[in-house]
Amino acid sequence: MAYVAVSGGEEAIEESIALLKYYRSGSKKDLELETIQNKMALLVDKVMSEAGLYSKEYAALALKQCEGSTEEAVFLLRAYRSTLKRTYYTNIVNTKDMRIIRRISAAFKDIQGGQILGATYDYTHRLIDFDLEHEDAAALYEESEKKLAEETPEKVHFCNRVSDGLKEEGLIDTFEENNEAPFDVTENLLEFPSPRSARLQTLTRADTGFISGLAYSVLRGFGQVHPTVGELRTGYVELEIPYLLDNEESIYIGEILITEVEAFNQADDKDQLKLACGYGAVYGRNENKAIAMAVIDRELDHGGDYPTQSDEFVLMHGDCLEMNGFISHLKLPHYVTFQSKLDAVRKTRRKDNE
Amino acid sequence: MEKKRLFKILSKAETEKVAEFAGSIKNSCHIVIVKEPEKSLSMVKMREPVKESLFYIGEVIICEAIVEVDGVKGVAVSMEDNFEKVLNMAIIDAACNKGIFDQYAALEQLEKEQLCETEKENAMFMKTKVDFHSMSAEG
Repeated sequence: MAYVAVSGGEEAIEESIALLKYYRSGSKKDLELETIQNKMALLVDKVMSEAGLYSKEYAALALKQCEGSTEEAVFLLRAYRSTLKRTYYTNIVNTKDMRIIRRISAAFKDIQGGQILGATYDYTHRLIDFDLEHEDAAALYEESEKKLAEETPEKVHFCNRVSDGLKEEGLIDTFEENNEAPFDVTENLLEFPSPRSARLQTLTRADTGFISGLAYSVLRGFGQVHPTVGELRTGYVELEIPYLLDNEESIYIGEILITEVEAFNQADDKDQLKLACGYGAVYGRNENKAIAMAVIDRELDHGGDYPTQSDEFVLMHGDCLEMNGFISHLKLPHYVTFQSKLDAVRKTRRKDNE
Repeated sequence: MEKKRLFKILSKAETEKVAEFAGSIKNSCHIVIVKEPEKSLSMVKMREPVKESLFYIGEVIICEAIVEVDGVKGVAVSMEDNFEKVLNMAIIDAACNKGIFDQYAALEQLEKEQLCETEKENAMFMKTKVDFHSMSAEG
């Protein structure tokens, strides 16, 4: 069976692409990038995380271009990213130095620095607010600016991690700093078993739905882990790179918003005197993804026969671009291969009838 | 001033403000653009607390420019793609390296304002800190 090249359909394809504009033209009102960035911030965060590229402006632009499709936006960002060279690696970011905007623990009521709810939908009623149909956006903005201006400045304090105390008590294993250069999945093909750095990078870029579903399967019994969220923190971390003209100095290049989770679990059967940790960290405010990542991280450490305990199963099937690309290819012409299948069925039917 | 501090103030500043700082240098010095502002990527390297190992969380878009002010080099790198701003930042850096930058007081004032804004925002977050009350036992 060989593939046969066919041509035709160029005009139809051109018209089809033009029709996308028609779909985006349903209103005379423009969807400004600033609006997408600020009012669809969680969607922008999700796209940046799955693209592995932090750029609110470009994520907003990509979403505008593709009618809000996450997978198309991720595709656009990944494609654009591939046209740029990588000129720097940041100095090591340590989330102990995070300017926290939300921090909670499901393990301890009293944590050093306190539980800071930040902005969360957790306690909202989930009733549609019909007032927003005719919201005065300018008034809302001004009201928020006024509120901010009237605040009394409060110094930013960095917080130790909740796990630090458990480590001091010997309830969680401690490790020496490991400065081995991380594996980079954007430049190297994954091999199994994969190094921890490859696992974490793949999980943080993974499709949110995929790893949330996997983590849910673990909690329902298709795995070993039912963790307690030891700490969930969201906040800003500063990025620095070495100063080109003097390696003794670093320069600040900006800050990024990330969500980080440490989930506590019972250690394996042999060592029930200790707790084990799973880790998740993602771009933006996307806490369910960070929690799911922490669940899967621990599940992969634990190992076993469930799909979520298989490095290859988890890491090879969760990339937004790869999974959607592969599923999408099923729409493309398979005339020859399908004809072959059809022939085989017809032949079998003929044989059966003889 | 430490480079880290200088770049933090400039990165957080509005484009127009950075242009103001660079304005007098542009008027009085010979500027050569060694490297035009250009977009590229920086990979973000993180330490995870569970095994204390390193991993890459993702990339950020950055913009870089290199200039010479009267023969002394200056470099600037900043997140996102603001070419005008990064070029002016490089000019200010070169002026600092040459020892002719004379607006440190204004920079420090701007830094105070930036810090105040951050702390006001922080105050809003701190208002959501939970104050637990123990429920008294019945009976």
